[in-house]
Amino acid sequence: MIGVRKKIFIAVVVMVAVGGYLAYSGARSSMAYYLTVGELLDGSAAVQDSDLRVSGKVAVGSVRWDQVSGLLQFDATDGSRALRVVYRGVVPDTFKPGADVVVEGRFDGTTFTAVRLFAKCPSKFEVKDG
Amino acid sequence: MGEIGSLAITFAFVVSIYGLLAPLLGIALRRQDLVASARGAVFASLFLLSVASVALLSALLGRDFGNSYVASYSSAGLGFWYTVSAFWAGQAGSLLFWALLLAAFGSAVVWQHSGRRELLPYVIATLMGTLAFFTMLLVFISGPFERLAFPPADGAGLNPLLQNPGMFFHPPTQYIGYVAFTIPFAFAIAAMASRKLDDEWLRATRRWTLAAWLFLSLGVLFGMQWAYVELGWGGYWAWDPVENASLMPWLTATAFLHSAMIQEKRDMLKVWNLVLIILTFLLSIFGTFLTRSGVLSSVHSFALSSMGPLFFAFMGIIAVLSLGLLIVRLPSLRSTAELDSIVSRESSFLFNNLILVGAAFSVFLGTTFPLLSEAFRGVKISVGPPFFNQVNVPIGLSLLLLMGLCPLLAWRKASSANLKRNFLLPAAAAVLTAAALVLFGPKQPIAIAAFALSAFVTVAIGGDFHRGAMVRRSHGEAYPVALARMVARNHRRYGGYVVHIGIILLFAGMAGAAFSTQREAVLRRGETVSINQYTLRYEGASTYPTSTSLVTAATLSVFNSNKPIGVMNPQRNIHRGHEDQPMTEVAIRSTIWEDLYVILAGLGEDGTANFRVIINPLMMWMWAGGILLVAGTMIAFWPERGESLRNRARYLVEGAP
Repeated sequence: MIGVRKKIFIAVVVMVAVGGYLAYSGARSSMAYYLTVGELLDGSAAVQDSDLRVSGKVAVGSVRWDQVSGLLQFDATDGSRALRVVYRGVVPDTFKPGADVVVEGRFDGTTFTAVRLFAKCPSKFEVKDG
Repeated sequence: MGEIGSLAITFAFVVSIYGLLAPLLGIALRRQDLVASARGAVFASLFLLSVASVALLSALLGRDFGNSYVASYSSAGLGFWYTVSAFWAGQAGSLLFWALLLAAFGSAVVWQHSGRRELLPYVIATLMGTLAFFTMLLVFISGPFERLAFPPADGAGLNPLLQNPGMFFHPPTQYIGYVAFTIPFAFAIAAMASRKLDDEWLRATRRWTLAAWLFLSLGVLFGMQWAYVELGWGGYWAWDPVENASLMPWLTATAFLHSAMIQEKRDMLKVWNLVLIILTFLLSIFGTFLTRSGVLSSVHSFALSSMGPLFFAFMGIIAVLSLGLLIVRLPSLRSTAELDSIVSRESSFLFNNLILVGAAFSVFLGTTFPLLSEAFRGVKISVGPPFFNQVNVPIGLSLLLLMGLCPLLAWRKASSANLKRNFLLPAAAAVLTAAALVLFGPKQPIAIAAFALSAFVTVAIGGDFHRGAMVRRSHGEAYPVALARMVARNHRRYGGYVVHIGIILLFAGMAGAAFSTQREAVLRRGETVSINQYTLRYEGASTYPTSTSLVTAATLSVFNSNKPIGVMNPQRNIHRGHEDQPMTEVAIRSTIWEDLYVILAGLGEDGTANFRVIINPLMMWMWAGGILLVAGTMIAFWPERGESLRNRARYLVEGAP
């Protein structure tokens, strides 16, 4: 007869193992390099063809948005350099010139093709510029 | 007014430092008068922070744009209620709100528990130490009473995204939840510091914990509702760091609510309970901090935020002090009871705890993954929603299973006869549900498992209600009377079951997402788009001004299998003062089975419109689940007849020599 403590120990080990495996495979399937615009442009060759998540600011005056086709083009900037971003889909309301954005997608060396676009959540909105 | 406000905050800071030191000194020097004066400090801090809050509210409502905070978060045209909500819209105001709530809860506790002579001094010291931290931030880092050298004619206005009823309620409920966990935490610290390590601290704060949990749940639900109707992307949860920050303390608090029952009933899991409440408090502080700083959403702002290091230092101090105290007290925390069997109600609570804490840990891991991977591997790597879903969907399913098993299992050790008798119906319900879905529904294994388990839990809980009522009926009560009296006799148990049914509805709503469909359509006037049984015809768009914004609304006629059922008006609005940020207002048509959700994604010069049409099944079930969750918690919260008598009897027995 196995003691209660031992049974519980075995159950916990099984749970942790299953959870660990799920976490590991989940992480593997959704891992992406998290870079700033500058870091991406500096090391662009190394990360081509991998999933990327890039953060920057929407450059003022760079936004071109065709409302009918839903095609959005803008420059994401880290203050000094700019990354050309192309995105098609619903544009979140938080997106505007000067806002912090995070784009997910791939970089071919010249243009970043985003499949998902996040703009900074309004709960963190501090003083509005200008 | 502003001078009075900032003066009051400074005094509150001084008073809370006093309230931290006086009780500790009082114990060390054996001077009761010092401890008594610390009680006064708690009430004084409430008075001072109320003065500061009134000053801020009157500055907001008096449109005093010379005040930098007022100028940043409100404008002359802003309505009364949204002007009030500007109180907690910004960083300085929300910190003041936090401090005010803590002082108010602290005063209530000191008033309510003035008889607990051993615990109270440490409770006061813990509360006032926390308050000292928040008032320090207000005094030295970010105060709401800074003056502008050149007052603008009008304020910048409240971000239009925040101008939504959901956003009026979400921050205060969330904050009440976060702050209220300070109370059980303070009692846990007091129990350890004063060596009164029985379950007095648990029983004294049971209602506070329950209330804190209720408000945290409400905060999360209001946040989801706001995201669903206002953010306009069709969903309610995106595993955003800020959302995760509100979920983590909720998960550990849920675990705590359950394991506290085991300590009360069986005197087990004492250390575990202390660990859980410490974790919950730390995660509440972490949540407050994340919402206010955005460390993780843009990892690079961390170094720039002057509050980040302070928050981390505070959390570090709390963690070291409380866990250190726990380690010192470990020898006196031996449990007197042991688990009798792995197939028992206790062990179902134990596994529920492990799963909930595991979920919290996985969310923590995923949220801080970029920081961790940079520390260990030098590259910043983040994980996305697939990670969270892959881990938390199985976790949710196993929680469902446990929720169903728990009422079927006896305390201590379940007999096989007990199992057979209780399992038959719930298991049959689960099999029937699964079979029906496999035959008639879309083939989605996870969703089928979720619905089958939901049926299992519902029947299991219903069975427990029924058995209890039948026992009473055999004593000659009519069935409905028996049911009502049974619930009235045991609020905690049956309130808990009602919460569980609410959670099942929430889970069913989430599982419903597996059956959602969406379509994008670029339509000219008169063209139609079809999705499932619905057809939508675009009739045109119109633009008109309102008092605060310029509204552009598209008109769509909606048909359900060719039968007209109504008109929907998704909009894009431009709020005055926020011309660069058009606001999408989605149109939602809800039925009990599904929501038809229409986004006006864009509108061309010639009136051609770009729509996204989504069908979200079972959304109503989620909101109904939220309402049941509130109702169930209220039932569990309500004092039982004879409860105070029982407590007094217990006190007398324990106090007897």
